[in-house]
Amino acid sequence: MRFLRLGNLGMRGVAGTGLTPHNVIAYASAVGTYSNGGRIAVGMDTRISSKMYRDAAVSGLLGCGAEVIDAGICPAPLLHHLVRRERLSGAILIGAGHHQAGWNALAPLSSRGSYFSNLQTQELLGIYHSGIYRSVPWNGVGKIHPRPEGLADSYLELLCTLVDAERIAARRFKVIADFCNGSGSVLADAFAKRFGLELIPINQILSGVLPHDPEPRPRTAMQVQSLIKVLNADIGFVYNSDMSRASIVTDSGETLSEEYSFPLVADHVLRLAGAGAGVVSNCCTTRTLDDIVRRRGGILCKGKVGQAHTIDRMFETGAVLAGDGSGSIALARGVPGFDGFLLTALVLESMAFDGETSSGLAARLPRYCIIKRAVPCSSSHAYSVLRNLRGHIFPDAVFSEEDGLRFDWQDGWAHLRASMTEPIVRMIVEWKTREKAEEYAAKVSSVLERVAAS
Amino acid sequence: MKEAFRRLKIGVSGIRGVVGESLSPVLASDFAAAFGEFVGGGRVLIGRDTRSSGEMYENAVAAGLLSVGVQPVLTGILPTPSLQFAVRETAASGAIAITASHNGNEWNALKFIGPDGLFLNQTANDELLDIYNQPDSNYVTENRIRTEKCLPDAFRMHQEKILRSVNADAIRKKHFRVAVDCCNGVGALYSRKFLESLGCETVSIFDTWGNGFERPPEPVPAHLGALSECVRKHRCALGFAQDPDGDRISLVSGSGAILGAQDSALLIAASLLRNRRGGTVVLNIQTTRAIELVAEECGVRVLYSPVGEVNVTDAMTASGAFLGIEGSSGGIIYPAISMCRDSYAAMALVLDMLAARGQSIDALLGTLPRLASVSRKVICPSAQAGVNALRAVRERHSSRNPITVDGVRIDLSDGAWVLLRRSNTEPVIRLLAESADPAAAERLVEKFERELQGLLKK
Repeated sequence: MRFLRLGNLGMRGVAGTGLTPHNVIAYASAVGTYSNGGRIAVGMDTRISSKMYRDAAVSGLLGCGAEVIDAGICPAPLLHHLVRRERLSGAILIGAGHHQAGWNALAPLSSRGSYFSNLQTQELLGIYHSGIYRSVPWNGVGKIHPRPEGLADSYLELLCTLVDAERIAARRFKVIADFCNGSGSVLADAFAKRFGLELIPINQILSGVLPHDPEPRPRTAMQVQSLIKVLNADIGFVYNSDMSRASIVTDSGETLSEEYSFPLVADHVLRLAGAGAGVVSNCCTTRTLDDIVRRRGGILCKGKVGQAHTIDRMFETGAVLAGDGSGSIALARGVPGFDGFLLTALVLESMAFDGETSSGLAARLPRYCIIKRAVPCSSSHAYSVLRNLRGHIFPDAVFSEEDGLRFDWQDGWAHLRASMTEPIVRMIVEWKTREKAEEYAAKVSSVLERVAAS
Repeated sequence: MKEAFRRLKIGVSGIRGVVGESLSPVLASDFAAAFGEFVGGGRVLIGRDTRSSGEMYENAVAAGLLSVGVQPVLTGILPTPSLQFAVRETAASGAIAITASHNGNEWNALKFIGPDGLFLNQTANDELLDIYNQPDSNYVTENRIRTEKCLPDAFRMHQEKILRSVNADAIRKKHFRVAVDCCNGVGALYSRKFLESLGCETVSIFDTWGNGFERPPEPVPAHLGALSECVRKHRCALGFAQDPDGDRISLVSGSGAILGAQDSALLIAASLLRNRRGGTVVLNIQTTRAIELVAEECGVRVLYSPVGEVNVTDAMTASGAFLGIEGSSGGIIYPAISMCRDSYAAMALVLDMLAARGQSIDALLGTLPRLASVSRKVICPSAQAGVNALRAVRERHSSRNPITVDGVRIDLSDGAWVLLRRSNTEPVIRLLAESADPAAAERLVEKFERELQGLLKK
């Protein structure tokens, strides 16, 4: 399959057939041109192809006269932190996050340390498509610098200003963590030490081979689930390969939907922040979040799908917390990007404050039945498929199209959106009861499949 | 003209261009991918000289190789001859040297080395270019991408081979005091230690790297004043001058006399020819005739080759020669050590000779035939005009049986000769004449310069 996608998420595609060193050098050259040289960090996850793209990106940046900070294998939150701490011009994060094996991606980070905004992406792609990049003579070519000393420590230090490490450490939690052989592995020991955890890491080998589908969700949590009761652990976490997402397994062995990671954190953060605090989410996150935010007197703001939008909106609205249903969260006072370590620390802090077990926390969540499905649909076709559905189905629902199509009913909702990364339409249906959720999921997918096939 | 000269140059000396202008990282990566397909997998070594653009191209080349399923092996900053040596020692599929050799700071180049440790010849280069220009590259999917490796100590293998090939103990006993001009190139990392391993008390100059070349990088006499001064000041037995990637050598005698490329080659060649007696030596067409005279005296057969290292080594392989000389650029190719121009082998051979003979460079040179040489260049309006003019010269002087191995060389009955040859790197025709009488050499060059200018005006 040939596949290459350019957008707010950067450049992503299938290694070899779409994403090539040629494209990556050009893209990195566009980034170096955008930042007018400057200092740019390059971090990567552990995938086999990541080193190739790292080499290509470094070369493109050096050729633009940028000084390259070689962050090596670097979890996404650490890279967000690095940019801000060292006041860099930006960064390139190489890694496929939740994508299946064979994929890879480059995501540019702005000088603020967050993903590029819409406007920044437009400007960057303008440069990329023009093919005219900043070039420097021999004595202007950049150099490669090692990542600054104490970077990981300063990041963990930052986490300790956001959560109460002592109270967490006092509980001596036993935690099983599945790093999916990803970049989170490199910080695991330091993180555990800082928060006094008895951490049992699994899939912590930097082999570049994914032990399972890297999307944190119940079906990828089976390994953790099989261990949690045997080892008598307090909680388990499953991360994606760049440490931006996490899902939770409770001490009773329940594999929580990744949708519940964010509401669990929101419940805790809002309780501490008090009424009136803002939370940013996207238009296809579980209603559990709406209920929690309402219960805590917070203000929920829903926007378009994608980390860039969500984080930007958090800063614009002065919200304290942002996140989405993929198992991602960020604090306004934390690094400017989704942070799986922070998510872990906040959930543990919540348990520590309440003297609660993880299953106890989960029991407090209002639950819905959420069904996520992917309907195959070629990328270019997907847009017209969705356009044609507009106004023709579900006249009884409240309709919105801020991002994709959303239908809201009293007791549930459905959302359809063309994936930005794969040739599929993503369907999410959520209802109070499983029967109704199944019923509506069947309705929506039959309509969708019919139109997609036509 | 200047502009045209700065364009990308693709030929037997690899892909050469100006940093930030014609040689982009994308180009380097794409050519590396094409080379990976050319060698058909396995391991490819990557070496570079000290140029500030080296890291950029190293990364681009590694990415290109990875993309076609080849394993890149980074050797870091490494002399080109050591890289060529390492290819054979490690049974690699080939190597890419990132160096513009004696060209200035603004240049860089990729030089492609085959599994035999030799540069790709014209035929192989044409194949590579053909692969590069195919619309589809055979990029591999992630499961076939290899892991990058490092080979940090490739120079040591090369050094050990050299030390085994000369009488190292005899050299060490002499405790020579020598000077070396590293040209802020690869020598800055290796040459001092190398000479010290031969028991030499070593003074080095231009021995830092990372901030460009502090002297023009071609080791021609005009650029070696500092080395000459250093030799005299520290009363050294001799001085060695290298180029940025350590393939060329030039000598300075104990009196501070700068030998130049031809005389340096003559001195080393004479010693090897006299030890050997018999066999074959390959000289590129612009090598001093003095070497031929010594070869005749020793009963060694002489073959001419076109200019360019790969042309010399191809002729050597075909004829089983024990020595190859690129006199015009101070290139010594001694296959008993390595089948490439190698300044380290040359340094060891000179010291070996001094230890064995117990004479100074000046004294040794005094025993050899010497010819005066004069060179000029004539600018051509186009490459084709140059070709036409050379053809006309050849026809006009056909009664003198011109040698047309590379350009047109006309030998006179008194042993003087003149060579007219189109440059590989600049749009000019170079003239080179040699004669026992300096004034005669001058007259010879002037005569042909006038003739050439007349032909180019037509």
